[in-house]
Order: sequence, then structure tokens, then C-alpha cells
Amino acid sequence: MSTYVTELPIRSELDTAHQNLATRWATPSNSWSSRQRLSVIAEVRRAMDSNKLAPWEAPSSIKGFIANNHCLPDAAIDVIWRLTNHPGTLTKEWYESIISENIDPVAYVELVGLIAQANCVDRFADGLGVKRVDLPDPVATKTTITSELEVTVTTHWVPTAATKGPNVLKALSAVPFENESREILSSVQYVPTAALIGDLTSGHNSLTRLQIELIAARTSKLNECFY
Amino acid sequence: MSGVSQNVDISFEAISSSTNGNGGVPHGELLSKLSEALWSKNLKELNAVREELINAAGEDVFVDAVGVSAMFHMMTRIADGTGTPLDAGTDEPSADIREAIGVNHLVSRRQSAP
Repeated sequence: MSTYVTELPIRSELDTAHQNLATRWATPSNSWSSRQRLSVIAEVRRAMDSNKLAPWEAPSSIKGFIANNHCLPDAAIDVIWRLTNHPGTLTKEWYESIISENIDPVAYVELVGLIAQANCVDRFADGLGVKRVDLPDPVATKTTITSELEVTVTTHWVPTAATKGPNVLKALSAVPFENESREILSSVQYVPTAALIGDLTSGHNSLTRLQIELIAARTSKLNECFY
Repeated sequence: MSGVSQNVDISFEAISSSTNGNGGVPHGELLSKLSEALWSKNLKELNAVREELINAAGEDVFVDAVGVSAMFHMMTRIADGTGTPLDAGTDEPSADIREAIGVNHLVSRRQSAP
């Protein structure tokens, strides 16, 4: 069954990838339960759909903004709103203030991965005017994503693994499961990593590489992203 | 870079605004306008550019273009959420491009480690 119901020609591999992402969102990790991971996606949706808070207005600082029984820590909700609506305003000091609220750096990396994926998948649906991907029920099992990677803080604010490649592809390397999710989306919506630098001429799907890079650069500029 | 590889004459103005022409990229102006409408979530603008782009280039291009733009709403959040610096060795070569597209003043500017 298709993830999206529309007459628009959504490629089957893209449709499948988004369904796959929803399943992955429900997969518990060492840092976050299935229910918490799905709550991250739901909170991203709330942030995207509401009147924006100013960058300096943290949800946790507004009385009654966060439900008493919310399963996510206040600092995680602050990250979700700030990264969803004001990604270009983040500073290292802000990151350190989040970590000081008992958010483990690796758990933070996972949170960033989830927020970023939800922004991608839901903005795709919104852009086409189709219903967003349904979220699955939380997984009850204790099976978790495990990582034995050694990670350290070197080039980024966050800890990363000693992997090769552009810095942005290294950003989520502390949580390989989320890096894999990024790659799943990249391969169906952008350019497979193998062709990223080695092949600057081939088109992908219906777009030429020039068209792809123009959209990428314009969107990055609008988000005030220097990288 | 991909413009150089394909031996075509491109410019960077379309990255700054859809009102600056197509930058030498086929349907560049419309693709830039679509990116703007997706970012601002302006439904009226989105519907208008959707119709224009589909008429000019087809539904496949519209769907794939929305996919690429959505992808970069993800990549920008990964870069800025993790404090990703410019890659070593890219700072100097990209200086002219950064100046042309006007990003040097951004809060998210992080230099590569020396």
C-alpha cells in the first residue's frame, strides 16, 4: 500500500523510504524509548504548524506550554522548537546550555537526527499538499539500537566517530542508525553519497545536477545555513 | 562546481533570490521561487508556482524539486544542530562564492579547524 495517496507521480522508492522512516522513528534506542522518539516527531509537527515562538522564547519558559505528563524532558522540547523554526540562530553556548540540562551529547545527536528527518519528510508532504505519513504505534519490545562506536568531540560541537568524508556527513556519526536514516532520504531525494562528490554532472530522476544544487543552495540560504 | 564540470555559464544570483533570474539553470527562477514558497509555507505562492512549474517542466520535476528542497530542510538542521564547521580546505576557495551569495554574515558561520 502506498504511503501517499495522490495523483502526483511520487517515485515508489521515495514512497517506500518515507514509510520505512516512520517505522525507524518507532525503533527504541539506548537514549530514547519508542514512545519518546515518536513524541519527538509529533512535537516537530506541533512546532511546524503553530505560530512561531521567537528564537529566544523557549517552550519550557512559558507556563502551561508543555503538558505536565509530556514524556520528553523540557530541554528536548526546547531543542525541537528552536531547531525546527530557527535553525540558523543556534550557537555553541546554546548547545552547551542544553547539555547542561542533563541531555547526554549522544542522545542530543539522536534528537537532532529525528528532528531533521521529520522536517524533511513532513515538508515534502506539505509541499505536495498530501497527508503526512501516519505515525506507527510505539514499539513495546526492549530491542534497542546499539552502538559500540568510540566517539569524541573534535571538529563539531557534538561527539563524532572517526569517519572520513564531508563534515556534514560526519555530524550524526555518533548514532549510526540516524546517519543511516539520513542516507536513506538522501538517496531518494537528493544524490546517493557515492555520487555526491565524484560525479557532478549526472542528473538524478527528473532533475539535472545544476537544478538540484540550485534548489539545495536556495533552501540552505533561506534557512540561513552557512555550511 | 557542477557548472564548471558541465561547461555551462552559471551565476549565483538565483541562490540569493528568485527575482534575480535563472542563474543559467533551466527553470532556475521557478525552482528558486518554489524553494521560497516551501520555506515560507505561503500556500497561495506555493499553488501559483506549482502550477507554473508543472506547466513549464512537468509533474515529475515538481515532485523531485519538492523532494530536494525538503531534503535541505533536513541537512541544514543537521549542520546547524551539530555545529558542523566548513570542511578543511574549503574556506579560501569558496570565499568569492560566499561573498556573491551573501552568507558571510550568518550566525551559523563556523570556520573549519586550522
